[in-house]
Amino acid sequence: MADEADALSQFGISKEETDKLVSEVIRFLLFKSHQNSGCPIKREDLTQIVTKNYRQRNLAASVINEAKTKLSSVFGYDLKELQRSRTCSNAQTRLPQSQSNADSKSYVLVSQLPIEVFRKHVVEETTSPMTGFTFAVLAVVQLAGGKIPEVCSIETLWHHLRRMGLHESDEHNPVFGSNKQALETLVQQRFLHKEKVSGPEGNTLFYDLAERALDAQVSERVKDYISQILKNDVSVVELD
Amino acid sequence: MASLSWKHHTLIQALISRGPLKEKEFHSIFTGVTGRNPGDAKKIFDKYLLEINKELSYVHFELRACRDQYDGHVCYGVVNTVSDDQSKLGTKYSVPQIAFFKGIIEAIAHDEAAQGCISGFDALNIRLENQVPSEASSSQQQVPPAFRNFSMSQKDKTLDELVKDNWLCRTRDGNNIGLGIRSLLDLRSWFRNNDVPSCEVCNEAGVKADLCPNEGCTVRIHKYCLKNLSSQRDDRVCSGCGKPWPLGRVAKEEAVEAAVNDDDEEETDTQATSLRSKKRKIRRHRDSAENVSSQASLASSSGITRRRVTRSAAHLS
Repeated sequence: MADEADALSQFGISKEETDKLVSEVIRFLLFKSHQNSGCPIKREDLTQIVTKNYRQRNLAASVINEAKTKLSSVFGYDLKELQRSRTCSNAQTRLPQSQSNADSKSYVLVSQLPIEVFRKHVVEETTSPMTGFTFAVLAVVQLAGGKIPEVCSIETLWHHLRRMGLHESDEHNPVFGSNKQALETLVQQRFLHKEKVSGPEGNTLFYDLAERALDAQVSERVKDYISQILKNDVSVVELD
Repeated sequence: MASLSWKHHTLIQALISRGPLKEKEFHSIFTGVTGRNPGDAKKIFDKYLLEINKELSYVHFELRACRDQYDGHVCYGVVNTVSDDQSKLGTKYSVPQIAFFKGIIEAIAHDEAAQGCISGFDALNIRLENQVPSEASSSQQQVPPAFRNFSMSQKDKTLDELVKDNWLCRTRDGNNIGLGIRSLLDLRSWFRNNDVPSCEVCNEAGVKADLCPNEGCTVRIHKYCLKNLSSQRDDRVCSGCGKPWPLGRVAKEEAVEAAVNDDDEEETDTQATSLRSKKRKIRRHRDSAENVSSQASLASSSGITRRRVTRSAAHLS
């Protein structure tokens, strides 16, 4: 932490000013996370807070690092960086490497508490259905090999969700409202990535796993979840 | 720069993700992570809150307690203390919805009778036009179309959302709308700036309070503060005008206490025993209420000299 403080002092602005910047970045992260229900926050939104009033190069990066440290020490939140590093096979143009690296970073706040403590004291119960939905969808996509078409063939995402009682056209689900919207939220939260692929029959929509689902923490838990279900249904599988 | 432990983090994160929590629930989380009961280990509990608030002050947040004025119970929450560009993002409500909400708060807070609520009908008839932000004096006061077109059904839907999010509450009979615990935690300074009279006893805004029956006197006291007050002194007169203060229900409790005092000798008398247990219950209630009121986070800055008041953790930043 002393290193961070030294790093900030090199910019020739007072401690009060750097404290204010770090505080604004932290507040932005907390309020925005609440407003967009956990969807990733773009790095450029954070840097803008700094560059609005200050021109020093790399000041924004230092401020964000200090904010990350403080979020962890004061709140127990990890400022998780998501990099849109996927190679889009359909991309026609490629951005220059440095720019694409900087622009495409985004952040989510994840609790660093031990999972049992989180479950017992912190989790907000109204979010449980969405979490369950996320797990189910990710498990289906992962079992399908990491990529699954939306509708066209027999083995599609909605086919599996229908078997769990969720219909694509249902707009009045008592928990999710619109089921389609619930799935769209997973795309916005970067658990899934939606891709249009033009094929012989026209355009098909494919879902595959995006950054947050590929993150080790999440994918491990999804694998655990899948193996738990398989363990319980071992007899059924063997008969098949 | 001291870092907080995972135990502190749990308390903070619980309040952030679950919203304001009743004292019982918050205490049980504390017990869950520290193994200590805040009732017995008050110093440790206060120390935790102090440490938390010291760190939170950096980002202009505060872990605060306040009493729900409708049921007298203490609640805890993490509150934003400064209004800036970032905090304006921290809401999912639209501009007309916020204007509607503001209109309701003003109607409730400025109720002369300090009932702490307005009827559902009045809530739906709040006019948004009064909430138009005043622009430069030269330009005309334009009412945005979103305000003009905010329909009854939108108001109804907004009311439900605000109640669900604890910004507003529905009274027990379901007909009236009162301030939710989030508003009570959040709006402390707004009440002061908008001249909402404070309770004589605890100095918090007397949104739902008993008024002195003397028409000329502006003294108001929360019902739960009244209960504590009458236990401390025999005279029941208004501190503002000296006229007698009708205590109603509280007077009955006093009578019970007097009766029990007389019957103290009789161990075998069953009636006395039941009265004594009632007395014990009353005393315990008073004691716990006094403990709570002297807790760090509840004390207001000006303090009341009669009560044991420890400095609010928030003011240590």
